[in-house]
Amino acid sequence: MRLSDYLAKMRPTTTCPPRVSMVEIGWSWLGAFLGIAAVAFANYRILAGTDYVMVIGSFGASAVLLYGAIKSPLAQPRNLIGGHVVSGVIGVACYQLLHPWMWVACAVAVATAIAVMHALRCLHPPGGATALIAVIGSGKIHALGYLYALIPAGLGAVVMLFVAVTVNNLASTRRYPEYWW
Amino acid sequence: MKEPEDQPKNDLCRGLAQLLEITDDDVVTAMRDLPGYLDITPGDFRELYEHAYAYAVSRLTHNLHASQVMVRDVVSVGPATPLTEVAETMARAAISGVVVVDEGRPVGVISERDFLSRLGGGRQVSFMEIIAGCLGSKGCAVVPLKEERAEELMSSPVVSVGEREPLCVVADRFHDHKINRVVVVDDGGRLAGILTRHDLVRAIFGTVEAI
Repeated sequence: MRLSDYLAKMRPTTTCPPRVSMVEIGWSWLGAFLGIAAVAFANYRILAGTDYVMVIGSFGASAVLLYGAIKSPLAQPRNLIGGHVVSGVIGVACYQLLHPWMWVACAVAVATAIAVMHALRCLHPPGGATALIAVIGSGKIHALGYLYALIPAGLGAVVMLFVAVTVNNLASTRRYPEYWW
Repeated sequence: MKEPEDQPKNDLCRGLAQLLEITDDDVVTAMRDLPGYLDITPGDFRELYEHAYAYAVSRLTHNLHASQVMVRDVVSVGPATPLTEVAETMARAAISGVVVVDEGRPVGVISERDFLSRLGGGRQVSFMEIIAGCLGSKGCAVVPLKEERAEELMSSPVVSVGEREPLCVVADRFHDHKINRVVVVDDGGRLAGILTRHDLVRAIFGTVEAI
């Protein structure tokens, strides 16, 4: 490839998609509020004082997709559940095998999570965060071991999915999901 | 995954795909019509659409057959028909070409183009050149044709397609032979109809509209 061809690839090819309506923005807000409220309530009220966790940072990213970009393949149930569980397992494995070299563990966890999600047709961007969080911790998360992939990663995703199916379909302009599995 | 030969390769399919080409602005406008955020850029959607449309054109041209599109009511003459009568027939029916049929089988085609090229001595002359010649001192160039018969002027062999050939084959035939009409024959090689470029375009757009 010539340098000029390479540089030409950096030129824009199209425009930014249009802004969504205020109604749409309102539904995105409401869905995200209720979805995160559900997992955060479980974390801070129900599971307080136990060894379990119910809210992890990657759920914030899942909320963007589940309530803000519901037509995306990345936001469908297969991707959501599959992405979090698969990435959770990979993240925990990377921490346990590679924790003496934390920076390597981090990089391998995220890169492998993306590759495996691709291969399993369940790419879900927040899964990358789920894998990374399994490596970085807290200590409480490290202590969970492989359970982390099911609780909080899998169960939290299921709770947020329940909210997405319930709330998104209340809006006349929304229909969710586009496919289940 | 489709095989490459399923892709429209003739100029007609590509031409149709280009006719209905959409722009990024069209996509952005359509995105505003649909509520909700769509996880695709206008450019990617347009590209996807163009590919899908080309496949649709290809599918339509594979599934529609010559017999579904051809005109069955063909004006024909015999090989021995005098050219005077051929010209009168064409004038009466207001058509630019007739099929020469011998015992039910098409043996040639006579078009306006054949008349003009004969008058030019093999060279394609324009209608106005003939008028100019007639009005000038040379006498009327058309008169010598009076004694000739259809088989002496007709283009042969006939470019034909079978009734059951898909339209993509018909389109390729137009393109390969640089012609505007083909004769359609049945399984026994007998004249079944005639099919022009115009019929082809109307068939495809008609079908697209029907869907």
